[in-house]
Amino acid sequence: MDAKRIALLAVLLTILAIVVVIFFRSGVMEKIKPPGEAPLPVLEPSPPGPVQTRKIVLFFLSEADTLLHPEEREITASSSIVRQAKQAVEELIKGSKKGYISPFPPETKLRELFLTRDGVAYVDFSEEIVEKHLSGSSAEISTIFSVVNSLAYNFEAIKKVFILIEGQERETLGGHINLSRPFLPLYDLIAN
Amino acid sequence: MAHRKKRSALLAGIVLFFLLTGVFVSQTQPFIKLSVKDYPTLSRVIIDSSFQLSFDIEKSSSLLMVNIRTDVPFRIQREAFESRMIKSFGWSKGKDFYILAIRTKIRNFSYDYFTLSDPPKLVIDFTQIAKEESEARDSLREKEALREKVPQPSTASPSSRIRTRSSSLQGMKTIVIDPGHGGLEPGAKGRFGTLEKNVALEIALKLRAVIERNFPSRVVLTRDKDLDVSLENRAALANNNKADFFISIHTNSSFRKDARGSETYFLSRDATDEEARRLAFMENNPTEFEEGITRESEDEIQMILWDMAQSAYLKQSSLLAESIQKELNSLLRTSNRGIKQAPFTVLAGVACPAVLVEVAFISNPREERSLTREGFQVNVAQAIYRGLVNYIELYSQK
Repeated sequence: MDAKRIALLAVLLTILAIVVVIFFRSGVMEKIKPPGEAPLPVLEPSPPGPVQTRKIVLFFLSEADTLLHPEEREITASSSIVRQAKQAVEELIKGSKKGYISPFPPETKLRELFLTRDGVAYVDFSEEIVEKHLSGSSAEISTIFSVVNSLAYNFEAIKKVFILIEGQERETLGGHINLSRPFLPLYDLIAN
Repeated sequence: MAHRKKRSALLAGIVLFFLLTGVFVSQTQPFIKLSVKDYPTLSRVIIDSSFQLSFDIEKSSSLLMVNIRTDVPFRIQREAFESRMIKSFGWSKGKDFYILAIRTKIRNFSYDYFTLSDPPKLVIDFTQIAKEESEARDSLREKEALREKVPQPSTASPSSRIRTRSSSLQGMKTIVIDPGHGGLEPGAKGRFGTLEKNVALEIALKLRAVIERNFPSRVVLTRDKDLDVSLENRAALANNNKADFFISIHTNSSFRKDARGSETYFLSRDATDEEARRLAFMENNPTEFEEGITRESEDEIQMILWDMAQSAYLKQSSLLAESIQKELNSLLRTSNRGIKQAPFTVLAGVACPAVLVEVAFISNPREERSLTREGFQVNVAQAIYRGLVNYIELYSQK
């Protein structure tokens, strides 16, 4: 009986000790949020309706100048912003229908897209976006801000865009522009 | 019976809790103590410490960074305060240094400091200065501070350059030239197979020759052959050599076939956003949790340090970029392309005026051919040289 009680007490104490340690440690971990970690999907209301479309604007390059040019596109007006954003990026990779230039290697695939609660969209591209890239400064800037501007312009929930490659953070696309933090849109680059 | 058992377990738990917290708190550690006092003309930050402080100070807009070099963990005690000029403290820890960030309520401040040795004490006085004066005063103070510093042995830490600037060469400028890419990383490719890394190296070597022939200075290349050099190491090399100027040489490429001309870049960033992020990070990592600082957060600190390095020089970098671009425009007869800003990885960590020159578009067949020509490379090198010297004469005279 006594031995049992002691054993029980010992177990309880150990559990408590563990809880206390976790309490201290977890406080530390919670406060440190490295940028690439575990983006939280934004929860959205999901009232399904008839298939509706919405107009969005994508940004492409033109031979005319160094700016990004808008081109309208219809996408499925899904209730999920993430799904809409995915469509937008996929359309962007497919390229222009009006003869504008797509600043993506055509082999590029969109692997995944997440949206965090604080408005950072993590856009995960396949390796080709690096491998087949022209890797000049201008080319990198076009690729990056074509995505960033297209997403931030159309989706209010997206404030910044973080570009991932094969699920990983990469230093640059081709040795120039820093990918290790999220981009704010740069509307100066847009024509008109 | 069961009730009593529960209660005793709870009691034991509480005892254990206090015991553990006691262990956490009572570790006899070196400490520093922060206090703030306002005087009629100044606000004073007093840093008492249980050990001799090895430190230096860096000012950036509404922030004063105190870098404390030590590999012994210490704890920070803060006294509550109310001050006209001091807003808050933040701090962060690296492998062998700590950074205390003193955030001020005003942007236009100057500072002075002195130390006492027994007991060790660092006293920093903040004074508000009139707006017009602030810039001139800042740069003067920076220069003075830099002159006082004793050159440090080189380390790979980006913060080392923030602290020290050598004046051992007595007015001799150190110019670091960075030929883009290299080794396994060829950079952009031209239609005829020209590689960015080769052209960049050729122009860099020619630029070195022009500078050395005409200007008393020390020129250092981040690579002088076809080598892989990481972006971080290029900046570190500049910082360890206490560079006065950093010029990275690249050739551009675009998805647009017609893209042509040269561009000179300096670093861009969303300043408010960055500063907020930096401070948030520091405030979220208080000293009490230092054993728990993870590998990632150390990387984060390194990143923050790299970030800060260039931000103090953005104005000078923009002027240097303008000066170089002007020369390139007249060489290439292009006037529509100017200086631009972008978040270049290689520029972020450089602690001196730093620019990245995109000489011409290697993706444009006509410019690709020019880029391979010896004569063109010499012209470009001379144009960059003229831009640099014009800048030095205008803004950077001793």
